Amino acid sequence: MAQVVLADVLKHYDTLENVTLTGYRNPPALNHVSLTVRDGETLSVVGPSGCGKSTLLKVVAGLEYPNSGKVYFDDVDMTDIKPQDRGVGMVFQDYALYPSMKGRGNLQYFFEVHQRTQEEMDTKVRATAELMGMGFELLLGRIPDTLSGGEKQRVAIARCIVRDPTVFLMDEPISNLDAKLRERTRTEIKKLLQKFNITTLYVTHDQQEAIFMSDRIAVMRQGVIEQVGTFDEVYFNPANLFVATFIGTPPISIVPATLSDGAVIIGAARLPMPEWMHAASLPREVRLGVRPEGWIISQNDGAGVPVNVSHVERLPTERAAFVSGTLANTTVRALAPLDYPQVEKVWLMPDWERAYVFDAMTEAALHVPGVPELF
Amino acid sequence: MPVISVSNLTKRFGEKIAVNDISFELGGQEFLVLVGPSGCGKTTTLRMLAGLEPVTSGEILFDGRKVNDIRPKDRNVAMVFQDYAVFPHLTVFENIAYGLRSRGVSSRIINERVPAAAKMFRIDHLLKRKPRQLSGGERQRVALARAMVRDADVYLFDEPLSNLDAQLRHQAREDILTLHREKKRPSVYVTHDQSEAMALGDRIAVMRAGRIEQLGTGSELYERPRNLFVAYFVGTPSINLFDATLQAQDGAIFAVTPAFTVRLPDETKEKLQHHVGRPVKLGIRPEDLHVPKQAPFAVSDDNTVKGVVNVIEPSSTGCSVYLSTMGASSRDFVATFRVRVPATYLGKEIPLAMNMRKVHLFDAETEQSLIS
Repeated sequence: MAQVVLADVLKHYDTLENVTLTGYRNPPALNHVSLTVRDGETLSVVGPSGCGKSTLLKVVAGLEYPNSGKVYFDDVDMTDIKPQDRGVGMVFQDYALYPSMKGRGNLQYFFEVHQRTQEEMDTKVRATAELMGMGFELLLGRIPDTLSGGEKQRVAIARCIVRDPTVFLMDEPISNLDAKLRERTRTEIKKLLQKFNITTLYVTHDQQEAIFMSDRIAVMRQGVIEQVGTFDEVYFNPANLFVATFIGTPPISIVPATLSDGAVIIGAARLPMPEWMHAASLPREVRLGVRPEGWIISQNDGAGVPVNVSHVERLPTERAAFVSGTLANTTVRALAPLDYPQVEKVWLMPDWERAYVFDAMTEAALHVPGVPELF
Repeated sequence: MPVISVSNLTKRFGEKIAVNDISFELGGQEFLVLVGPSGCGKTTTLRMLAGLEPVTSGEILFDGRKVNDIRPKDRNVAMVFQDYAVFPHLTVFENIAYGLRSRGVSSRIINERVPAAAKMFRIDHLLKRKPRQLSGGERQRVALARAMVRDADVYLFDEPLSNLDAQLRHQAREDILTLHREKKRPSVYVTHDQSEAMALGDRIAVMRAGRIEQLGTGSELYERPRNLFVAYFVGTPSINLFDATLQAQDGAIFAVTPAFTVRLPDETKEKLQHHVGRPVKLGIRPEDLHVPKQAPFAVSDDNTVKGVVNVIEPSSTGCSVYLSTMGASSRDFVATFRVRVPATYLGKEIPLAMNMRKVHLFDAETEQSLIS
């Protein structure tokens, strides 16, 4: 068990020919990243591909060496410690099992390399097999080629657990599985993580998975951590426009708005300012953010901003529909009842208690709804 | 005149009755879905329509003409199967063309129609391949294209999406609706998946043990289920059911459960009067439990149920919240919201407002609805 700390980590991937007298030609993969993963917590790292999330994991594992900055496990500086001596267990997207060894061999390998006793090895392997639950014993006798994707991943996870890691690192561990299996496997992994209470860094591009797996979420973009918080915090209190758009599916609608003379002007429509906006000191030009469930949709002329409907997507199982249209050159999506009529035009009014306001230039959040008190 | 008319259709396999005296009619361009748990007789019904299974008794009419004794190939039906049923030794082109060739359609028409149908289902670049070189989704589209090139009177689908994974299924549904809209002929579609039925069917027949329990539009089945089986089968998450007793008090009727007591709407009083004092099942759909502050009706103790939050599951339209009632005979139930419920409510007891106009009541013994 340990707390993992990254302190001001900088990591460039540029090769020598890309480094000129004026510095690096490409932006760094990790741009002065600082992050604390609390003891025993599962922290998910999400972000678009290329944002540096896998690099972050590799730096913690010791597979990549940072250009500057430090990695600590508790108070111990790990930056110069070799990967095999860090006590981390890593699970990869492609499993990375030793193909020539049976399941048992994969689990035993660590003990053989580190020249532990036969007795310790047997005890550990047996205990791990028990922890992994029903049917795992059977996988131990098979070579990886004969295992399904889900089974391979179970063996890979067991291979991590058997060595008592202080930190668990998972890089998209279930992305290669099909949808049904993914759901089952993620439940299984979550149960295991809860059982062991090991500090875990979990990298994924799937935010549903991140919500399900983790205590907190770190949202990354271009080598920078934009925000760290619980799902509720990044959803209701996003630090900036990027976090707001990245978190939440379908995404939040962002429309340019002008605040003037007690009115919110969107396109040609003037909406009266809500109470709180009068009191807040906001610039004239802003970006207004409204999530699909945050629009009040109406067929009455004048009840909000007119929007030409381009598409009504009906979700019979969810008993709901998404009404989409274009507003000020951006796509807006509003949640409506399943039987909402196929009309050409609707009027959308933000539910002001659930609206977000961002700075038009810096994209920083100027007003967020906050975690709601529903009950 | 209906295009397909089925009356008193029955099928026995020895002692076992697979389809028990069912009747329905199907209009010109209608999409009918037969849905039910496995063994309910839905596939047998479809196979009798196709002529693949002889009828024990009853009648099947296509355009007013009795087809009971007409052989499958002379019925002019097109069928799409769960396992695609593509010929492994034929190319994609020949698979699509097969039904036309066997009916002596000219090569000129075949060379016109096959590429057009292949294009519609995005397999026009695969026409020279053999099925084993295709993915499951592509094979399924070959089967759809094969149905598309035919001018059949009726289109039949036997669980065509069950072998596809979730992501492909969504697109394949659209493909099936494309075929249906293009052909403007009746389609009958069999599935065990109620969400698929709701997404596809103009009308849906819910089957159980060889009988049609209810036939209607998705909304009718969802909002006015005739019995407990239909109510529970339709909708995800499933309808919440509570054991209750009806009691008359102060001129109103109340449903009393160990965890809560709610006042039933006055409109239902007449229908419920004879059941006062009797055990019933109270059903409430997850979406008809509201955050009290946001409920579109007046909230009081008479329409409130309390529960402890166990799990909050986000969805694309908000979230599902799984709760348990407090007390000795604790019951699990679920509510779906159009807002995200923050995780801070996990483990807390919260009140939910029940939309009493949406409450379903069923006789505890006969399981028939008492109000619809």
